[in-house]
This record gives sequence, structure tokens and C-alpha cells, in this order.
Amino acid sequence: MYLRTRVASAAAGLLIGSILVVLPSTPASAHGTMSNPPSRVYTCKNEGPENPQSAACKAAVAAGGTQAFYDWNEVSLLEVGGQHQAFVPNGKLCSAGRDKYRGLDLARSDWPATSFSAGPRTITYHATAPHSNSNFSFYITRNGWNPTMPLNWSDLVHIQTFNNFNPTTFTNWTINIPARTGRHILYSIWQRVVGSNEAFYTCSDVNFGGSNPPPTSPPPTTPTPTPPPPSPTPTQNPGGTWAAGVFYAVGAQVTYGGLRYQCLQQHTSLTGWEPPNVPALWRRL
Amino acid sequence: MRRYVLLAALLLTGCGAIDTPPAVNASDVMFLQMMVAHNQQGVSLAKLAEGREVRPEVRTLAAAIGSTQSTEVQRMSGWLIEWDQPLTAAPDEHAHHGGMPQTSKAELARLRKTPDAEFERRLLNTMIAHQDDAIQLARYETGGGANPGALELARQIDISRTAQITYMLDLLKAPPP
Repeated sequence: MYLRTRVASAAAGLLIGSILVVLPSTPASAHGTMSNPPSRVYTCKNEGPENPQSAACKAAVAAGGTQAFYDWNEVSLLEVGGQHQAFVPNGKLCSAGRDKYRGLDLARSDWPATSFSAGPRTITYHATAPHSNSNFSFYITRNGWNPTMPLNWSDLVHIQTFNNFNPTTFTNWTINIPARTGRHILYSIWQRVVGSNEAFYTCSDVNFGGSNPPPTSPPPTTPTPTPPPPSPTPTQNPGGTWAAGVFYAVGAQVTYGGLRYQCLQQHTSLTGWEPPNVPALWRRL
Repeated sequence: MRRYVLLAALLLTGCGAIDTPPAVNASDVMFLQMMVAHNQQGVSLAKLAEGREVRPEVRTLAAAIGSTQSTEVQRMSGWLIEWDQPLTAAPDEHAHHGGMPQTSKAELARLRKTPDAEFERRLLNTMIAHQDDAIQLARYETGGGANPGALELARQIDISRTAQITYMLDLLKAPPP
């Protein structure tokens, strides 16, 4: 939640320096989610991140922790610019593909759902930082979608888009809901248009009554395999070439990019922690 | 305001000055100010692992995250000083926009109170969320920054935080013995 606030603050705090600093473009400072029908993140936030009531919210917190629900109004990506399918992978539509929000992607048939029916329906978006000039798009899952399957882009049917819209804190729209049976997801995308490429994504569970069709593919009977524990971190002969995924003790020496380095602090090496990039961990010899 | 910025720039650099400093724009400054604060919170988060019951891998990872991010803070602060920019936005501006850094302080407090049995899982989940936010900050810079050093750092942050998240997700999947 503080993330975008700091973007805005940093912009406001920008002072004239001794170098040419072009005036800031409109900083990213929007926040929000669907409040009616409530999105998954809104539902679990309202239940309480520490003591959620529903089985689905309990499972979401167990799967991804509580922070996602304190930062409930930031299920967003900063650099989308309308390329939603390029940035958000199938199966991760509810989390915007972000690991922080992975609990929202759980494919379950017991997410708290709002009763829904076909016809005109007023829906509400809660924007704690409404930003002018934005496009709001609404979708519903296709006939025959099954809530126990991962949500993919091809499951979504477009209902309506409101372009160049100026939201308020609570914005209402009336959209025409198509006929459905059983549980479905009302999906929304808030794409900012001016000053930012940021987009927000929401999944709101709705129930039209009746039952969903059984999954077309056989239900997963195999239990989730217990993932193997991280393989015991290999140690490396002194003098080898640096590699990721290796435990290095203090004093270990490696070659990287033709140069020699000595380990200053024990760690398991990771991509991005190549010796020249992390002087806290490696000293060049 | 724009007029004064340009005027100041012209006065200080001289019109048509020969040696131009590396390009810097407002996104670079915003990114560094945000990342300094974000990394400092990450260092505080990592420190919580000290003296708690966590697996050695988790302790080692937290310590390495703490020291690498401290080094980044020094480097980023150095750039901001060099560019004559404030290291952080004014506190009243934070308050004006909702005073959100307290969210993170609140989570630090909650983690401190978390019993040992639940501590490691909560720490890892909070660090994953924290590094996921860092990736977003880095992509903000990648999308709008101009300074080669800041852009390269953003690329490094994107890559290293992604790898850290993958490692932490693996640690969460493998329950403590």
C-alpha cells in the first residue's frame, strides 16, 4: 500500500537540483479494487488478514501470507500500458501475476460469492486514490467455466468498457450481466491512460444459482506431489567459476568474468548476486 | 515551476556547456528515493531473523539480503547526493498521501510479536511481498528512467529479487524438518 504513496511523495518532494531534472510525469498514485461485488482481496481484507472467517480466505492467507490483504488496493502492475495478456499469465489473472498476491489465484469453489442474476446490475469500484482519465473494462467467465479450474484469459467474455473515465472514491456503473448458471467471476481491469501505464486487476466471485458443469477434463485425482526439499546446497571446490545456487562460505574464492573474487559473507548464490554486483558479499582480489 | 527548473539548469550548466553530466530525469530521482526507503525497510525486515528460530538457510539468506540492500542504499544515496536531490520525500508529504510507511512499520511490529512456531513462514511471506513490491519499483524505473546507472541498478534489482522470491517460495514448500 505504501508503494504507490511513496511514488507520489517522491514526486512532490522533488526539488530543483544542480542538474537538469525534467519535471515529473504524473506519478503513480492510484489504488483500488471492486467493492460490489467485492473482489477476493476486498472480501479477505474485510474478514481481517489475521483472522479470516471463510475457508477460502483462510487458504489464501495460508498460501501467500497476510501482507497482500493489508495492501488490498494494489493488485496492480506499473508498466502494462494495455498489454494485459503479455504481462499477466494464464492461471494468475486474480493476482496480476504477482507472487505477493498468489493466494488470490486459488482455484476453489468456495470463495465467498455475491448472488447474481442476468440483466442490468449496478457495480461499485472503491478507489482510495481515484485517478482521472482511466479505462475500466468488465468481463465475466464464459458459460461452462468451472471454478475449480485455473482462470485463463480465454475464459473471459467482455461485458463493457468505459473509456477515458474519471473515477471517484466509490464509482458506480450499471452493466448488463449475461445469463449464467452456478459460480462465475466478474473480472475487471482498470487501465490508467494518462501519466502512467499502471493497471489494476480484480476477481469478484458471483453466484447465479444452480450448479456449474463438471470439469471437462478429468478432475485431478493425483494429490499435489510434495515438492522435494531444496536440494542440499552443493559446496564448490575453491577456485571454481561462480555459479548460482551454490553455498559459499567466507573466504571461498571464485572466478567470474575472468576476475577473481573472495567471499566476504556466507550465502547461497542467486542470479543477480554475481560477484561484481554485490560488493557486500564478494571482494575482488 | 518548469520555467525555474529550466532556468536553474541553464544557469548551472551554462547554455551549450560542453561537458554534459549523465542524463537524469524525475523518474530516476523518484525511483532512487523510493528504493532507498524500501531497501531500508527490507534491511529492518531481514534483521528480525537474528535471534529467532529459523532454519540456517533462512538466517543466511536474510543476512545476505540485509547486507546487499544496505550496500545498495549507500550507492543510491550517493547518487542522490551527487545530483543534489533529497534522499527521501518530505515526511509531511507521506502523511498527506496517507502516511503509508506505517503499514510496513506495523508489519515489523506484528512479526516481532509472532511466536517462533509461525515466525519463519510469516517472515518469508512478508519478504516475498516486499521483494515483489521492489520489482514493481524497478519496472517503474525501467519504463521511465534515463540515467544509465539507475537503469542498470533497476535491472539488477528486478533480476535479483525475482531469484530471491523463487528461492523463498522453495523454502516455503519444503517444511522445516
